[in-house]
Amino acid sequence: MQTKRFRLRYDKATGLLLISPWLIGFALFKLIPILASLGFSFTDFHMLEPDNINFIGLDNYVRLLQDEAIPYLILATLSTIIWIIPLQLGASILLAALLNSPRLKARTLTRTLFFLPSIIPSVAIAFMWLGFLDPGTGWLNRFILMPLGLDGFNGIYSDAAVAILIGISSLWAIGPGMLIMLAAMQGISHEILEAAKMDGAGPLVSFFFVTIPMITPAIFFSLIINLIALFGGVILLDRGNTFSNGSSPFDGYISFWMFDRWDIGYAATLAWVFLLIVLIVILLLFSTSRRWVYYPDRE
Amino acid sequence: MEEKELYNPRSTAKTLLVTGVTAFFLILFLSPFAFMVSTSLKDDDQITALGAPIWPARVATYEYNGAELEAFTVPLNSCEGSEDSNDNKTLAIVKKGLRESTFIDPDNRERGEFVCAVAWRSLERPWQFSATLDNFKETWSLIDYPNLLWNTTMYAIVSTIGVLFSCTLVAYGFSRFDFPGRDLLFIVLIATIFLPAFVTVIPTYTFFQKIGWVGTWLPILVPTFFANAFDVFLLRQYFMTIPRALDEAASIDGASRFRILWSVILPQSYPALLAITVFHIVYAWNDYFGPLIYLSTNRDAWPISVALSTFNGIYGSDPALIQAGALMALVLPLLLFIFAQRFFVRGIVITGVDK
Repeated sequence: MQTKRFRLRYDKATGLLLISPWLIGFALFKLIPILASLGFSFTDFHMLEPDNINFIGLDNYVRLLQDEAIPYLILATLSTIIWIIPLQLGASILLAALLNSPRLKARTLTRTLFFLPSIIPSVAIAFMWLGFLDPGTGWLNRFILMPLGLDGFNGIYSDAAVAILIGISSLWAIGPGMLIMLAAMQGISHEILEAAKMDGAGPLVSFFFVTIPMITPAIFFSLIINLIALFGGVILLDRGNTFSNGSSPFDGYISFWMFDRWDIGYAATLAWVFLLIVLIVILLLFSTSRRWVYYPDRE
Repeated sequence: MEEKELYNPRSTAKTLLVTGVTAFFLILFLSPFAFMVSTSLKDDDQITALGAPIWPARVATYEYNGAELEAFTVPLNSCEGSEDSNDNKTLAIVKKGLRESTFIDPDNRERGEFVCAVAWRSLERPWQFSATLDNFKETWSLIDYPNLLWNTTMYAIVSTIGVLFSCTLVAYGFSRFDFPGRDLLFIVLIATIFLPAFVTVIPTYTFFQKIGWVGTWLPILVPTFFANAFDVFLLRQYFMTIPRALDEAASIDGASRFRILWSVILPQSYPALLAITVFHIVYAWNDYFGPLIYLSTNRDAWPISVALSTFNGIYGSDPALIQAGALMALVLPLLLFIFAQRFFVRGIVITGVDK
């Protein structure tokens, strides 16, 4: 009754004024740069010859199509995605399930410790792992592989080793994903789990057919966040990208043309093509989400 | 129901199983930390020595006639005067020889020097726990740690102020005011999260280069005052949960729009504001990409992340120094997380679940 009698007017001008920092920032640091990138991609802009910029049409795009590194980069990105993302999602669901179990002792402490690696500088992490995996002085050979009777792991710079390194490091960053899964699991009402139990569902059946479907929104969110992280975008708890050594081979390649060769025109072309690939992947994911993500509001 | 289960032996077994499995994962998960701490406390001799233990240790030594003698584990039956014994004993070596060496027994010095027919190189050595802080001291002086700490702290403080200030205003606008195109603009804001960094970095870098900002902190600090999608999203979600009736009550009492933000909304949003603060301090502390591209030419302005990776490139052959340096870089985020972990958890849950 009272709210009917008095309605606070939230006027338009103040609203626009309030969001103006973002609007200006968006224009200056996002929109104009994106368009400028597009513009650069049609030129032979080189950092060392800033006064000599020529419009070269689609030459950069033709060059990209003929670039032998591109199919390799796409393949490398895809192969990373194919095994890293399921690994991260699976591990964060498993850990969340363990942490959600009322049978676990010292739950808060355990949660804290699992989250810990997610806040460490990635530079420190990279060198910590390199040391851990070092064939001579690291612990992996001495305390894990050798006692199991396996051959020591030799070159830390072999392709397989780098892939394993990226895999373990990405597992180490699942803290935020794990918390989101955990919060989603804690949000499932007890009635639903009780009802499943009444119907004779065991713990495993109830986990796969009740818990998992109920937390699909959290899974979807984590999937998107993990993908963006691999694509070199902004992530939830950004620990700073190690950039050219990062898990996105595409980023490394763009960085090479930008900061090693100063070939801005070609770097911008690569960045734009990469942007399109990312947008297509994200749109595809969103369009399939209606089929498998549970939205309680729609019922 | 729960209480009944407490006395069920099967339930105890399950508790053990769940806790055991979790503890196993936890040990695997934290072993690199243990490696880091342990390595940073070792002295150089131990890192290269064969058969050295994983914990920081040093070979035991004994003082004898003014000299430091190294200890070895010697099978007593090889020594003169104790051929019948089957035991091994820790002895200090006085004179090293190829096939036989002279030892003393540190526990029984009266026995004097005696000869054992062993090749000392093949003997096991007794390791004693011994941690050294020398690696930290050395790293501290080599990388000019106080200066790095100052640069990084300033970056964290200034950018966190920028983020808090701008994101609060923008989130207030999006959560309370009805202006044309608001919902579309909000979708655009969220969509910026998906942009790969490079598509915007290339022109902005070129632009900052042109106006002479490369080599200064400005390209990194100034954009933080123009709000960012994640923090605006988090704050807006939080502001939406505060009932508008409270705003209206304050307005009846004569409060302006900004007064409402300051006196009604902000005091209630401290969990979200603290979450953003801790996220952003950690982000700034760990940020590598921005400082690397904009500050690589200006050594004095480096934050700890950039300095650390350069340092590691130079001292790559010294694992103890590298691990000490890495440990020094992560101390602050670690402490912050331990004290503010409640807000980390809250912030992530608000972003991820309460959509």
